[in-house]
Amino acid sequence: MPDESKLNNILVVDDSPTMRRMVITSLGSLRHVKSTQAGSGLEAIERLAIEPVDLMVLDLNMPDMHGMEVINFVRKHQAYRNIPIVVLTTKSEESSRTEALAAGANRYLTKPFDPRQLADVVGSLLQTS
Amino acid sequence: MEPFILFELAGTLYGVRSRFVQQIEMIDDVASVPNAHPAVEGVVLVRGQVIPALNLRTRFGFEKIGRDLRSRLVVINNGTRVVGLVVDTAREFLKISTDSIAPPPEALTGLSGHYIEGIATIGERMILILNLDAVLDLDYEVEPEISQV
Amino acid sequence: MDKPNPDNRGEFFDQFLDDYYTECDEHLVSIRRSLVVLEDDVNTYALDRTLLDNLFRSFHTLKGISGMVGLAAAEQLAHHLESYLRELREGTVVLTQSGFEALVAGVSLLEGVIHARRNDQPIPSIDQLVERLQAISVDSVTSEAPAATTETRENDSTITRWQVEFTPTAELAERGVNVNSVRARLQEIGQVLQAKPVVKGAGEIAFEFIVAADVDQTAVASLETDGLTFQPAPVEREPRTREILPTPMIAPASVVRVDLDRLDELMRIVGDLVISRTRLDDQVAELKRVTPPAAWRSLQEVNLTMGRQLRDLRESVMRVRMVQIGEIFERMTFVVRDLARENGKKIIVQLSGGETEIDKFLVERMMDPLMHLVRNAVSHGLETVAEREAQGKRSEGVLLLSAMTAGERIVIKIADDGRGIDRGVVIERAKPKGLNPENAEIDDDALLNLICTPGLSTRDEADRESGRGVGMDVVKKATEDLGGRISLSTRIGEGTTFTIELPLTLAIAEALIVSVNGQRFAVPQSGVREVLEVESASTRVLENNEIISYRGKVLPLIRLTRIFEMNHQRGEKFHVLVVGEETNAVGLAVDRILGQREIVVRAIKDPLAQSRGIAGATELGDQRVVLILDISALRQLAVTSRH
Repeated sequence: MPDESKLNNILVVDDSPTMRRMVITSLGSLRHVKSTQAGSGLEAIERLAIEPVDLMVLDLNMPDMHGMEVINFVRKHQAYRNIPIVVLTTKSEESSRTEALAAGANRYLTKPFDPRQLADVVGSLLQTS
Repeated sequence: MEPFILFELAGTLYGVRSRFVQQIEMIDDVASVPNAHPAVEGVVLVRGQVIPALNLRTRFGFEKIGRDLRSRLVVINNGTRVVGLVVDTAREFLKISTDSIAPPPEALTGLSGHYIEGIATIGERMILILNLDAVLDLDYEVEPEISQV
Repeated sequence: MDKPNPDNRGEFFDQFLDDYYTECDEHLVSIRRSLVVLEDDVNTYALDRTLLDNLFRSFHTLKGISGMVGLAAAEQLAHHLESYLRELREGTVVLTQSGFEALVAGVSLLEGVIHARRNDQPIPSIDQLVERLQAISVDSVTSEAPAATTETRENDSTITRWQVEFTPTAELAERGVNVNSVRARLQEIGQVLQAKPVVKGAGEIAFEFIVAADVDQTAVASLETDGLTFQPAPVEREPRTREILPTPMIAPASVVRVDLDRLDELMRIVGDLVISRTRLDDQVAELKRVTPPAAWRSLQEVNLTMGRQLRDLRESVMRVRMVQIGEIFERMTFVVRDLARENGKKIIVQLSGGETEIDKFLVERMMDPLMHLVRNAVSHGLETVAEREAQGKRSEGVLLLSAMTAGERIVIKIADDGRGIDRGVVIERAKPKGLNPENAEIDDDALLNLICTPGLSTRDEADRESGRGVGMDVVKKATEDLGGRISLSTRIGEGTTFTIELPLTLAIAEALIVSVNGQRFAVPQSGVREVLEVESASTRVLENNEIISYRGKVLPLIRLTRIFEMNHQRGEKFHVLVVGEETNAVGLAVDRILGQREIVVRAIKDPLAQSRGIAGATELGDQRVVLILDISALRQLAVTSRH
């Protein structure tokens, strides 16, 4: 069994459990990774506070705390400023692509997503970080 | 006058008191039970209950035939046991008066006095009235050689 | 493959279909509830903001996940519903009666599309409804923009606003104390007005909640556990535009959403515990010979106590599978509303005994049949307003849905005060089929039998359109297959009552379905440690036993074909189910493992069908009987057959 602490921890944030499972399964082909789930922006930030996170896959349209607020909060914080963020959101948000990237997201993917493409994007971000 | 359900087996008409007949079904799927009594074809699911399907031909020592569209499962419920009887075909519902039922003659070869409790003669038809307790009793066997038909 | 191919994508996402359906169900229930509340706000400007938000979000999520699994009709429909909701939220359109009806129709159609996909039926067309939704948006555009009002709260002097700070830690999270659990706790004592993350002095993250609660300073002290600190909230300068209000009718915080997989896992573990304990029992009994009596007695006492506790645990876990039948009743209420509206009937639904609990398995099997009875009652049983008034009945028809437990059974009644079933009509229809040749007077039981005859049951338009294929014959069979009973009581002009009795306790187990010599068997999962695939060539014979090597040791095999005296054709490979522990392990050899299923265990009561090695029988939903193996009996048989 690989040493858990050497695995990259990917935080998957989406209020739909089905969606979270789809993302996690898509990332199954990546090596040396494990995943953690969060169902809201608050939960995601809590995760950041209590365990090391190496990359976030983030939905935008979530109740209580919009994904954009999460990006803003994370990028303001010294400790989390450099965590790669992949935004994964529905088509209608395409107009906010620029906004998200300007706020500090590294990639912006739309749903429905191609599992292979997601794995590639996440894999390459993990390698370069 | 008592109501009976009639069915056919190897060209002979048999009758069972209808109060013991829970239902009559087409035979769907029988799961064969390993190491069971040779006359037990297997079990079937009827009204949520798993009951044995007893092949009467085998039980009476007749040659077994394949099932066809006319084969039926006569589900017997005598108050304590529920068992399905596999028969060639189910015929009709008939009221028979106790006077028309005579005890089986000694000279009758085959099932005499064993699996039947009497013979009813209605006009030209002869109906053998089944002794259910004997039929369902596992320890009760009639020598197959005697009853070849 | 360089370009993402939408067809390939579909295949990948098929594995999530179950999750998808479960999540859709949850969203649809929540949507339905919101719609019921929304109905009161039609044609007003005072639309509940939170309600609209929730509806919007639900449609948005449904759109997303439907797109992922490739159900385009659902995706598009959800998209248009979402758009309409967006306009309502932004206040650019007002909610008219026709708009509301279009919403309701849209949701029904969405349910229908998902249901069709689930049951492999043709997907209904959404074009008409999409047009309808688009037309509504145009028609109801407001000239003035009304303010989307938020709920006004009364100024209660005893309610204080508190600022609660929660600092999450790994240790707290492990104990189950996290931002969600804290929020839930706060919602129990008051209203959570705000929740946001903050960064503290040394850079740690904490969460700040503003709570309006009816607690004073002294009470607060007792709440400051698990990393929570309370202080009076700073006075608000201007009303916040984003307020987090608990939605009406949301599930209470004391309800936990349980992943079905976790529940199954829990049951499996409990099953394992039971097996371990029986072995412990045996060992303790053996020890009696060699242990001083006093010492042994205390050991036995602990053993028995454990046994009791385990039994309690088992029952508790089984109870987790129970759901309240009120959930089904609620669904039925929505269906009745829709149907009544469509058919121009007025119907009042009376519910009774909704808190009666029923095993989830029963719910799954009986949902469609019960729904069929309800539809029948609305479509055929209950009359239109005009007809009812002409008969001197009240204009609204009454549909009663009730449930109660009677001993070991649950009794469900679906009763209407409508037309009643016309015996004459049924008999007429039965004649050409040769049923009821005596043309005798038939009582309610005989009438029920007639209408439940396949080919005779009425299939109304709604069923044909949605292709559900449930007829009365299916209702009867489904009930009886579960060991239940259905009965009927009806009077012309007065109404009809269907009563369904179902057993409360069903022995349900997880089982592996295997194939041996072409025949299927079920093996209780709890007895199986591991499953192996073995090459026939790798088996050896040791002292009259067939063995294989397993984890560095020798595993004796039990061939079912040998014990059951069946013919056997060896393939190149076969499967082995490892049962028993450590030195006691043996392998049950089967041809193939077909899958894993949850089964209802039915005992074989009649001695004619009982056989050593067979524990009972079950049916896998395809009406074919499958025998259940008795693992410990098989092991003993194997021992005796070797000598």
